Amino acid sequence: MDLLFLFFLSSGLFLGWSLGANDAANIFGTAVGSKMLRFKTAAVVSCLFIIIGAVFAGGGTSATLNELGSVNALAGAFMVALSAALTVYWMVSSGLLVSTSQAIVGGIIGWNLYSGYETDIGILSTIVSSWILCPLLSGGIAVIVYLIIKNILHFSHIHLLRQDSYLRCGLLIIAAFGGYALGANNIANVMGVFVDSSPFQSIYIDGWYFSKTQILFLLGALAICIGIFTYSQKTIKTVGNNLMSMTPTIAWIIVFSQSLVLFLFASQSLKELLMEHGLPSLPLVPVSSSQAVIGAIIGIGLAKGGRNISWSTIGKIIIGWIATPLISAALCFISLFFLENVFQQKVYM
Amino acid sequence: MFGIKISLFSGAKTLETKIDSFHDKVIDAAMMFNKSITTYLTEGRSENFKKHNKQLRQIEHDADQLRRDIENRLYTQNLIPDLRADVLELVENLDKVINRFDEVSYQFYIERPEIPEIYHVRITELVGQVTECAENMSIASRSFFRNFSSVRDFSQKVYFLEHETDLSSGHLKESIFDSDMPLANKIQLSTLIDEIENIADLAEDCVDELLIFTIKRDI
Repeated sequence: MDLLFLFFLSSGLFLGWSLGANDAANIFGTAVGSKMLRFKTAAVVSCLFIIIGAVFAGGGTSATLNELGSVNALAGAFMVALSAALTVYWMVSSGLLVSTSQAIVGGIIGWNLYSGYETDIGILSTIVSSWILCPLLSGGIAVIVYLIIKNILHFSHIHLLRQDSYLRCGLLIIAAFGGYALGANNIANVMGVFVDSSPFQSIYIDGWYFSKTQILFLLGALAICIGIFTYSQKTIKTVGNNLMSMTPTIAWIIVFSQSLVLFLFASQSLKELLMEHGLPSLPLVPVSSSQAVIGAIIGIGLAKGGRNISWSTIGKIIIGWIATPLISAALCFISLFFLENVFQQKVYM
Repeated sequence: MFGIKISLFSGAKTLETKIDSFHDKVIDAAMMFNKSITTYLTEGRSENFKKHNKQLRQIEHDADQLRRDIENRLYTQNLIPDLRADVLELVENLDKVINRFDEVSYQFYIERPEIPEIYHVRITELVGQVTECAENMSIASRSFFRNFSSVRDFSQKVYFLEHETDLSSGHLKESIFDSDMPLANKIQLSTLIDEIENIADLAEDCVDELLIFTIKRDI
């Protein structure tokens, strides 16, 4: 593995780091913020499952991104990831809700436009429809789970302290499930564009086979974990409480809904199972965990009678939906021009 | 990990028992107060009355120990972090009611008021209402931990009984000041009646806060 590859990979690793720093708040922010779980416990469990999810289940969403645009030159992949990372950074600092998934898709389209490769409209429309479906599905799941839990608590008469113990176990399990789902779904955003240009070789460790893509995903997952350990505590303290100032039970429902949606959009085996039985399945697409969280919050808000719903947040989501891929695509297109003509790098084959 | 889980559940179980015992103490204190004042009305400062007073003091002492233990465990074991402050305040409020039962009974012991027999029935009635009010407050508070949908039902009973005690004490004081008793006795009796009635006010305040805690607890 040469140094040039590591340099080009740095933009993906940076994207991974920022994903860990920002999205960890969605998985265990409230549990840590409300002191139900210790940061270290939640972070270790989540990281472990992010790695498992990314390495063993990250292939599906990555293949979809590859179908949208097979970025076949390392310098091109670097610029796609960098454009996405810069868009995310700019949008976050502007106070807009941003999705790494949308930024990377925008970047890939920018690369397609620059390189002259055709963008598969069918795949693009599947991806775009998943962005709309993601918060809606998350909201629907949140409402159902909310009503079930509300009734269980109403009729079971479980002591408050016992509820607290169950909830702690539940939050820990959901930190694991959330981590797995995030790793499986979002690793494509971080490392997906590097799959075609990866110089890694497949290896066997104790009879376990690891493909070159899995090794790449492991690196991306480690970058996410570093983001969690180095920066997410700050994010949880500052942003986390604004987004989710609610009871730990509600937080559990929201994280569960978000994780389930991310899992549904990432699980190949579930998709195959549904297709085997002739049932409609969801496309394997990287979706935004923040938008899934907001969908769940709005769903619960509606189930509670429509109180406390921040319509300005919904406005921000819509702006984010439109602006993120457009900015990322434009940025990628312009940057690729400079990278090819000024720095003399091959950005496509 | 399993060790952590077991200790988490056993810690919660121990505290659950202590909170239950604390609620039992509120009911014990209310019943003992009723018994103590009824004994005073029939026997004056008799040995029986002194015994009841002592028992009431013991209940108050045990409740104090339980309260400290509950507060301690809630913090050291980091249980229900989001509702901990509310539970602590609730326990403090319940403890104030227990303390008042003890203080008022002791006031009877110290002051030895002379109470004409014609007022005995009405004072017994007032004490009965206050006792019932505190009992319902305790049940409402217990429900907060297990079955919070019934907190409102018992709180409503507390509000009703508190209003009844207002009426009873008002009529009682009116008839005391209409009587030929010396003014000093009238004022002493009136103060004691206020003290008894104030216990129901404390129960009402406790329930007011309890209802807010319940709204906060509702998911």
